[in-house]
Amino acid sequence: MSAAGATAARPVARHRRARGPAFWAYLFVATALALVFVVPLAWAVARSFQPSTLASQHPQGADFTHLTIANYRAVFAQEHITRNVINSLIAAIGTAVLSMVVCTMAGYGLAKFRFRGSGIVFASILLALMIPFQAVLTPLFIELNYLHLTNSLLGLVLVYTTFSLPFGVFVMRNTFQQVPAELIESAEVDGAGVVNTLLRVLRPLILPGLATTAIYAFLYSWTEFLQALTFLETDGKLTLPVKLFDIETSTYGTINYGYLSSGIVIAMVPCIVLYLSLQRYYVQGLMSGAVKG
Amino acid sequence: MVLVSPACALIAAFVLFPLAFAVYISLTDWPLIGPYHYIGLANYRELFSDPQFRHAVVFTFTYTAIVTAPIFLVGYGLALLLRSNRPGAKIFRTIYFLPFVVGLTTISFMFVIELQPNSGSVDWLLSRLHLASSTQAWTVTHDSALLAISVIVVWFASGLTMLILTGGMQGIPRELYEAADVDGASWLKKELRITLPLLRRSIALSLIISVIGSFLAFNQFFILAQNNVSLETVVEWIYQTGFSSYRLGYATAMALFLVVIIGIVSMGQFLVLRDETEL
Repeated sequence: MSAAGATAARPVARHRRARGPAFWAYLFVATALALVFVVPLAWAVARSFQPSTLASQHPQGADFTHLTIANYRAVFAQEHITRNVINSLIAAIGTAVLSMVVCTMAGYGLAKFRFRGSGIVFASILLALMIPFQAVLTPLFIELNYLHLTNSLLGLVLVYTTFSLPFGVFVMRNTFQQVPAELIESAEVDGAGVVNTLLRVLRPLILPGLATTAIYAFLYSWTEFLQALTFLETDGKLTLPVKLFDIETSTYGTINYGYLSSGIVIAMVPCIVLYLSLQRYYVQGLMSGAVKG
Repeated sequence: MVLVSPACALIAAFVLFPLAFAVYISLTDWPLIGPYHYIGLANYRELFSDPQFRHAVVFTFTYTAIVTAPIFLVGYGLALLLRSNRPGAKIFRTIYFLPFVVGLTTISFMFVIELQPNSGSVDWLLSRLHLASSTQAWTVTHDSALLAISVIVVWFASGLTMLILTGGMQGIPRELYEAADVDGASWLKKELRITLPLLRRSIALSLIISVIGSFLAFNQFFILAQNNVSLETVVEWIYQTGFSSYRLGYATAMALFLVVIIGIVSMGQFLVLRDETEL
């Protein structure tokens, strides 16, 4: 068969293949795998709605006729988890907003301006990329303590923003590099300042990059555990993951499964909702290979 | 330049300064509260003769060695399965990535419940499948805890590998495969001669991310097996030494050791990615 013939026959062949046994095999395998990934998460949700006597039993004991929100009521009333959810929201939204501002500015500066020391700036961001926060946990604690930023959500937001910077700066730098230079020049000719250019002219073009940066920062800070565990001290300041750890370990020997399972779902839902509604940006951002640690 | 100064200020304040400070702290007996003394290299000397530290390093390397290949192979398999973008591929890709989005912290709490000997679903499922007859205290014994945590981590992390490899696969020109088809190349030959070489960068990236992630493991071991000393990772040791034993100086010496190891792996990452970021 000639090359031309192969190309011409292709659309038909592919169409037929799409419904052939290979397609059904693919669908079967992919669906089975999907169940492996979804069922544990779905089961965690189902468990949290079981009456507390059943919440601590294996799946056979599950009872879907007496679903109850008693666990949620108890975890809010007994464990005062509202405070911790609010703390987590403050940390996550604060980090997302601050990251958007800082990364937009830095990305714009690095992509569109050449200035003295831009090499050093880029190198220092690369260096930050290589240093995991785990490695500076102890000096960071001493420093924050000295600055009165331990047991403080502000301190947490600053640190979270710093360690999600490398990713965000790269994403925003790539975003701005794709903006045509003429657009910025014409805005300058019209007399728009840097801020105006960013807010008015470039906003629609950089929105996808901004969304990627914001989701990454939000998910990072919403699920972060070790820094929150180290830097936060009093119950009223704890973020949700540290609170869940308290629930797991405080009652000696016995874990209150009702509290823990409803807390898990509360921690899980914002991630899933945000991901499913904005996954186009997030998945695209990660797939483009922008992830660097 | 005004635009980059906030980013630089944050990095200087919370990365570069602590890093320099760490070198100084590691030469002292810095306690959590109270005065400290300069003690020279004593922390480092103690570190290299500390059996518990050696155990943590060996254990962390072992754990990294165990999970890296499965994460990569499962992620690669998932990416291959969805490569041709058949109907539903997008939805499946979204689903396979879900555990990663939920985060390892929440996942670990989930398995605190599910790994319980009598009430967890893992035991129940295994006995239903006739894979195990007796109940198992998963997180108590070393081998079973390591096995359980490794499986959880593969389940959690393979979605990220899948996404990175998918990104790489989409960059391979379709014409290459079509040309190979014309030449009558087998599937295996196409994979070995086209996909793998052109995917080199994505493969390296996904491996480096997963190796660094494994080496910094903390959440899953701390949440699921914090009382089991045989499962102590390097980062767990740093945390315990610094904030349970209040020996910040000693913990920092260990953290600098971590910087060196991560630095070596990151240099690899840097070299692999350099051509792309046009430095």
